[in-house]
Amino acid sequence: MQFTIVLYCLGIESTAHTFGVSVVTDRGEILSDVRDVYTSAPGTGIHPREAAEHHSEVAAHLVSQALSQAKIRASKLAGVAVALGPGLGPCLRVGATVARALSSYLQIPLIPVNHAIGHIEIGTLTAGATDPLIVLVSGGHTAIAAFSGGHWRIFGETEDITLGNLYDMFAREINLPSPAGPEIEKLTQKSTEFIPLPYVVKGNDVSYSGLLTASLAMLRSGKRLEDVCYSMQEVSCSMLAEAVERSLAYTGKKEVLLTGGVAANKALQSKLREVSRLHDAAFYVVEGRYSGDNGAQIAWTGMLAFRAGVVTTIDQARVRPKWRLEDVEIPWRNDHGT
Amino acid sequence: MSRSPGETIMEPKLVYKGAEAEIYLEEWFGKPAIRKQRIPKAYRIPELDDAIRRMRTSHEANMMHEVRKLGVPVPTIQHIDPESSTIIMEYVNGPTLKEELYRIPMHAKRERCSSLGVILGRMHEGGIVHGDMTISNVLSEQGKLFMIDFGLGNFSKEAEDKGVDLLLLNRAMKSTHYAFHTVVFNAFMKGYTSVVGQKQGKKMLHKMHEIEQRGRYFERA
Repeated sequence: MQFTIVLYCLGIESTAHTFGVSVVTDRGEILSDVRDVYTSAPGTGIHPREAAEHHSEVAAHLVSQALSQAKIRASKLAGVAVALGPGLGPCLRVGATVARALSSYLQIPLIPVNHAIGHIEIGTLTAGATDPLIVLVSGGHTAIAAFSGGHWRIFGETEDITLGNLYDMFAREINLPSPAGPEIEKLTQKSTEFIPLPYVVKGNDVSYSGLLTASLAMLRSGKRLEDVCYSMQEVSCSMLAEAVERSLAYTGKKEVLLTGGVAANKALQSKLREVSRLHDAAFYVVEGRYSGDNGAQIAWTGMLAFRAGVVTTIDQARVRPKWRLEDVEIPWRNDHGT
Repeated sequence: MSRSPGETIMEPKLVYKGAEAEIYLEEWFGKPAIRKQRIPKAYRIPELDDAIRRMRTSHEANMMHEVRKLGVPVPTIQHIDPESSTIIMEYVNGPTLKEELYRIPMHAKRERCSSLGVILGRMHEGGIVHGDMTISNVLSEQGKLFMIDFGLGNFSKEAEDKGVDLLLLNRAMKSTHYAFHTVVFNAFMKGYTSVVGQKQGKKMLHKMHEIEQRGRYFERA
């Protein structure tokens, strides 16, 4: 007689503006994925304490919603995973508190997950890549990574602000609501003129702070908003594409995976597709609904970690606001994919 | 290379294709020369792409000129055309240091790497970093070394930037000349230290290890 045992893992995401909860199985099925996003007034950014208050208010409801949509009882869960970082301290603490409580009450393992690794794993799961060069673009990251020797290694990254920051900080100055990427991309459609802006690539690294300053200066000098948006997007995405090309030539990887909140940007996608083509690499993008922060990325990474024996205890599960992705040991991968 | 009357002019021959540029061997006023041409990238709009290639061509030529003033041997530049993002330079008739290290005796390996140390030491003392410092970017013409590929070169006195030069070089030596890596790197450091001094040499070695610890510049599988 054969028994099929299915493992269920609940994951909690609360690193920044999104509180998300999801239940996944060990076969990679996402049974539920619910979220609620804190929005700040146009012209302002995330206020960490207010975001944390938002998370506290929606947490209980989202946890029960995630369970009911997945049609399983809490007692069926094999473990609870939580993003302990990197992110905003007050926000992280809400997710960590909820996860610790669930783990303690249900007597199930608590699994620590790095949020950035979550973007990578949900990307490989939904896009179907095996051993890709990662291009992680979000509000918190702009990084190019490849797997080697038990860790994701950063090959190139931003030396200052991230691509998501660039768009959000620009948008904040002109009173657009954040996250601003989609708004900016819409505006670029109406551009008629390319304005030269600083293009800074240093080896495999990029730097966006000068581009932000120059873009805002162009706007103040009377250039059309549409043209500034277009030029800023064109320059910022081309810079990243070049850094990716260098990393691709160096590592010789045959897959490229674009993941994270800014992965939805069409201009960036088309540039990276071209770079991949030039180097005979297959190009993948994370499935659209999992590009922004979500509970599924934490639940799925938690499941992988849990199966590889990664668990923590309640007194050890402290938040790590500056947790770097290359510091995370990845026992569930080897140098040639999973 | 001399040519007898009536001999046909050499056809340009593609000798290397990098991520950014193509390298051709061709004839320039009767002598063999190298043409480095930066190729257009379809992922950048033409206005941006043209400007970048123009800028980098001038920048590279400028860096070559600057390091030459510091006593670093580089191929002589014969012609620069930013509009077509082309540099034409002296043809150095010899293998890369990477290739040469395979086939010369141990004492010659040490001697070459020590000279390379002196050259990079002069660059760093003069406030210039290479940015892509591998033994594939050093040519050897009968034992005389030439530095090439200054596309990522820059003015910098930062220990971090110099440390990256050392680390990339160390990695390149390790990955291709595993068996005698320690010998050649030590010989390199001897030459380097003879220019920058014991104290600075030690400091840079330390910096190199520190950067390596971050685990970023890992070897290709």
